[in-house]
Amino acid sequence: MERTEKIGLGVATAGHVLLFGLLSTGFLTTPNPLKLNSPPMDVSLVDEVALQSAAPQISRDPPPPSVAPELGETAEPAPSVAAPSEPVVAPPPPPTPKPAPKPTPAPPTRPVERAKPKPPAPKPAAAKPKPAKVTPPAEKAKPTPPAKQAKPAPAKPTAKAAPSKDRPTPAKPAAATTGKGKTDKPRGSQLGPDFLKGIQNETPAPRNAAPAAAVIGARQKSALDSEIRRQLKPHWKAPTGADVEQLRTIVAVELTPSGAISGSPEVVDTTGITASNRTQVKLHQELAVKAIRLAAPFKLPPDLYDGWKSLRIAFDKRLSQ
Amino acid sequence: MTMPTLTLATQAATISPLALFLQADIVVKGVMIGLLAASIWTWAIIISFGFSIGRTSKGCAKFESDFWQTEDIDRFYETRAKSDLPSAKVMAAGVAEWRRSTAAKSIDRDGTRDRLATAMGSASGAEIDRMSDRLNILATVGSVAPFVGLFGTVWGIMRAFTSIAAEQNSSLAVVAPGIAEALFATAIGLFAAIPAVIAYNRFSHGINKLEARLNRFSDAFYATLSRELETQR
Repeated sequence: MERTEKIGLGVATAGHVLLFGLLSTGFLTTPNPLKLNSPPMDVSLVDEVALQSAAPQISRDPPPPSVAPELGETAEPAPSVAAPSEPVVAPPPPPTPKPAPKPTPAPPTRPVERAKPKPPAPKPAAAKPKPAKVTPPAEKAKPTPPAKQAKPAPAKPTAKAAPSKDRPTPAKPAAATTGKGKTDKPRGSQLGPDFLKGIQNETPAPRNAAPAAAVIGARQKSALDSEIRRQLKPHWKAPTGADVEQLRTIVAVELTPSGAISGSPEVVDTTGITASNRTQVKLHQELAVKAIRLAAPFKLPPDLYDGWKSLRIAFDKRLSQ
Repeated sequence: MTMPTLTLATQAATISPLALFLQADIVVKGVMIGLLAASIWTWAIIISFGFSIGRTSKGCAKFESDFWQTEDIDRFYETRAKSDLPSAKVMAAGVAEWRRSTAAKSIDRDGTRDRLATAMGSASGAEIDRMSDRLNILATVGSVAPFVGLFGTVWGIMRAFTSIAAEQNSSLAVVAPGIAEALFATAIGLFAAIPAVIAYNRFSHGINKLEARLNRFSDAFYATLSRELETQR
């Protein structure tokens, strides 16, 4: 070995030692850019969603007809009476332009809507007389003087209708107002001595049929689920092994109102069995049942006992996370 | 739930070559040690060769210019022929052959020319061979080290997979250290091979230049001796 080679060997060795020394002491370590300080987020995974709504049920039955005498065309006890009268009204409008304002005040009734489109064209007729005439019958039918409350209601519809549909704005408001004078009065409902009749006749039962509290809704269901999971979690230790995380054992268990197990937990099914985890299935099921037994007196809200009387609990990897 | 990959990343970022080496399998360790030795040897050759080839080519240039300026070749031979320079060796071989051939009573000019050419040619060839002796090590390291490193990596990854099978746990945390140490073997292989390849190309170019210079010098000297031969008796 020549002298230069000795020098070279010495230098190379020293260089390598130096380099690896530096690397070992973290000279070239990359700073870890991921300094995540985001607080952990709680995510609860709910298997089964309660499909039953807990919201108070709104009765679909039409409100019982009020027997109170009412003025105006608005639908009501009179509708049957009014209906015939209005159809009669509808035909006349086409020829006489103004009927519009009047029908508008009573949007709920369908005939009115039909009438609307047609009227806009002719202004002149001002047809105040006609609607007036039309309405009067109603008035006549219920000759009671107008209640104050009734006034605002009709006023709005007319206001809306006038700007939107009708070109002759100035004229119509006027017509409307004029109409008001006549129509407002009819609108109010008058409580007669017999206004409770209809209510009494109709049985109130259907409305109150759905009491809100007793039903376990989606919220309570998921809250119960997560509470049960929370109580099971410390006792559930899934077996380890290949593909074991795919196993999912469902155990059915009956609970007494005190939260204790009644009878014995029963394995309903285990899914996710593959060739590699077949040997672990038995153990998985045993551990699942054991977890329930260990967690046994469940502390769950007694008022929702219906919701946890009979449970089907799924044991899988998620439960242990 | 903290994310395991993140904690793993922080560990991996601070992992040192020494730690990687210490936790490696025995085969991978052997590969790493061998590659490290190859790297050290490569660099030793690079350094010593870089010195020697630079010094040699400079010395040859100086020697040749001195040689052509000298009046008396015999005296120049006496004083400078002991040098280690390739040019000096070539000149020494030529002068020795010349003296031997012209010592006889009758001179066979053609035979003398042949012998002179052969003697100087073989001297320059021997010098080049001696110089380029170490280059084949660079070539070997440059071409083989990556494969050796790859072998270490493959072995290490195989072992990592067997450890997965043994623990029946396929999480990244189980596999990652094994794969990291396995990849470290390839890294060392490349670390040794890349300088070796670069140095090999660079130095073979330098050797080629030196050989061309020696050949030119021996040709010129041969021409001089051949001319001198005409004037002999």
